[in-house]
Amino acid sequence: MGNLKNQMFSSYQQNPELYDEIYDNKGEVKTIYKKLFDIYGEHSIKDYVKLNDKAKSSFFNQGITFQVYDKKKTQEKIFPFDLFPRIIDPTEWEVIEKGAIQRSKALNLFLWDIYHEKNIIKQGIVPMELISSSVNYLDQMNGIDPPGGIYNHISGTDVIKHNDGKYYVLEDNIRCPSGVSYVICNRTALKRALFGVFNHYNTCSVTNYAENLLDLLETVKPKGVDVPNVIVITPGMYNSAFYEHSYLAKTMGVELVEGRDLFVENDFVYMKTIRGPEKVDVIYRRIDDAFIDPLEFKPDSTLGVPGLFAAYKKGNVTLANAPGTGVADDKAVYTYMPAIIKYYLNEEPILNNVHTYHCSRPDELKYVLEHVHELVIKPVDEAGGYGISIGNRLTKAEIEKVKKQLLAEPRKYVAQPIMSLSVHPTYIDGTKSFEQRHVDLRTFTVLGKDKEFVLKGGLTRVALQKGNLIVNSSQGGGSKDTWVLKN
Amino acid sequence: MPLEYSITYKAENTYEHWVNDAHWQFLIIPENNASQEFVGVEFTNSLNAINEYSINGYGFKTIRVHPKQRFKTISFEASFRLIKKEVNPFDFQPEVDISKSYHRIQELVFKVDYESFLKRTRFTTLPNKNESLFQFDRTKSIFENLQILNEWTFTHIYFKTDVTDVETTLDEIIAKRHGVCQDFTHLFCALARQNGIPTRYVSGYLHQGNGYFGDSQMHAWAEAFVPEIGWLGFDPTNNLLANTSHIKIAHGKDYNDCSPLKGIVYTTGKNETKHTVKVASQQQQQ
Repeated sequence: MGNLKNQMFSSYQQNPELYDEIYDNKGEVKTIYKKLFDIYGEHSIKDYVKLNDKAKSSFFNQGITFQVYDKKKTQEKIFPFDLFPRIIDPTEWEVIEKGAIQRSKALNLFLWDIYHEKNIIKQGIVPMELISSSVNYLDQMNGIDPPGGIYNHISGTDVIKHNDGKYYVLEDNIRCPSGVSYVICNRTALKRALFGVFNHYNTCSVTNYAENLLDLLETVKPKGVDVPNVIVITPGMYNSAFYEHSYLAKTMGVELVEGRDLFVENDFVYMKTIRGPEKVDVIYRRIDDAFIDPLEFKPDSTLGVPGLFAAYKKGNVTLANAPGTGVADDKAVYTYMPAIIKYYLNEEPILNNVHTYHCSRPDELKYVLEHVHELVIKPVDEAGGYGISIGNRLTKAEIEKVKKQLLAEPRKYVAQPIMSLSVHPTYIDGTKSFEQRHVDLRTFTVLGKDKEFVLKGGLTRVALQKGNLIVNSSQGGGSKDTWVLKN
Repeated sequence: MPLEYSITYKAENTYEHWVNDAHWQFLIIPENNASQEFVGVEFTNSLNAINEYSINGYGFKTIRVHPKQRFKTISFEASFRLIKKEVNPFDFQPEVDISKSYHRIQELVFKVDYESFLKRTRFTTLPNKNESLFQFDRTKSIFENLQILNEWTFTHIYFKTDVTDVETTLDEIIAKRHGVCQDFTHLFCALARQNGIPTRYVSGYLHQGNGYFGDSQMHAWAEAFVPEIGWLGFDPTNNLLANTSHIKIAHGKDYNDCSPLKGIVYTTGKNETKHTVKVASQQQQQ
């Protein structure tokens, strides 16, 4: 098929130790990528750079940016985007989709249980410490029945493809997972730049996310409400994901508000409008638990709404996700996921879990301390890739420092073997060629009352630095459009 | 004989500069329970803002106030009436088999059911090397041990006002051995929990006898769960068991869950808050 004449990938170097998503182990382009490979190969690197720059400037012009927090300053950045898409075939996708639904449902049942009878702990399947020493467990949620029985309306399940060709879940994000707007924008950008490629593949649409989200949020409306008034609440324009908040509100056709736009009266929530107060029934909140109500949680929060939790406790408003979900996306809970799935659903996990060592257990801590150089050490309660140490990248002095941290606060850390994330050809500015870069995939699952939806696609995140395994956007990662093919 | 209580709560807040926006939440209404029957409340504020009756995150009654005008001074006045049955703190069946109770508190199901009130919070965490400051004597019943702990706390620290505040943690209290009711209560809770007994912080009013009430503050004591008996009130500040004089508002893991007044006030400069509480009683005519 003229592989040798292919200009674009001619200098692509394959490291045989890595799992390449487009080349098989004989160095042949996989069937699913052949057409794409040939279409791209007709262009020169120069053409590609031109198109990629165009796509980038369209992101900037549309304000599709995010903020990165640094110790000294915050910076506004464009999410680096790569025009060479990732393709997932329908049979592989089926596994991911079923697995993501299974995990989300199991986590939802787990949350119901730990905020009610706590049977899973009483039966000794998970330890009590998961709730008693978690800062994300909210005692106030005990005994509350969230509308529709749903806690984690929106879950972001991060999966990777290991060098055994199987998908593994790295983590479940069920607080305020972000990234879905980039999925849709990446698709739009690719369509603008290279519309023709879509003629050759039967790709599932991703633009239906907002309507499905709205549809499912309406199923968890409070009791007694006929047509619910749904809104999105944001911490404001300085938040790293503000673009996404405004995007979701706009595409769902609902209001985007900040805390100061809402007030609580007689335990109902109202939005201030030029036509007077308007009752609010379902709040898709993109504010962390601690900030939602200064009278109940963090008193110096100016982002929330005083009295909101009382309105929630009385069942007059739905919060999505429910407060207190953070306890279940703690990385310590992750390690019990196979048992949690089995306990609530009586099913075997569809997606694999990465083996995890709990530093809170003395024997496992001992193992971790002796093997820091070959493990990934993660804090249990940090999001966005902060505080992660990858053992084989550390100097001797850094290893000693990590050991000290582990000994000082063992409960704070878990460790996992270093997984070899699959690689995908990614255009690199520095060398003006395609190189192998590690990728993961964030999927988005929405749970409603007796209904669920998984976005057929997801955010493929690319670690742009050579050899880097941390793909989070806040750590300088980029992204790719992700195509799920129809059967 | 049941007693009828009338309680008056007053608070006055003064600010150096204009306050443009403020929210308050009061957790001062006595709860309804087996020994106290809440009759009525009257609540007013000097700005005639709406008083909203609601609940906090644990379901206890609150009053929220959100004035819609700017101000420099605001005062609140609440008066409650309630009927308190005569409480005999010893009115229970003593534990027949002591070992059964000690066995029960070791069970996982028990620990999970009472997890909230067994945990170490910011205010109920003992400083390092103080975990065995008070050890239960397993030859005595749990109730007897708690009585001894009550007395131990009462004698271990002495009552002194204005040396601690609502932010004071146990390391300072244990080092300096002084404090007020919430400090006594936090220490009692921490040590009882350390011995495996679910214990909760209680906020309320204390009737100190007609003619003695004068300017007073709100009170705090503890409730400990004794297997086979239930929740029992201990007042380590006074070395008493909670009785007819203890009028309960709310309970929680520590002071943070029960603070009588929470305010979010948008202003600059200095401010001052004054509280007074009066508790008066009369015998109910039968």
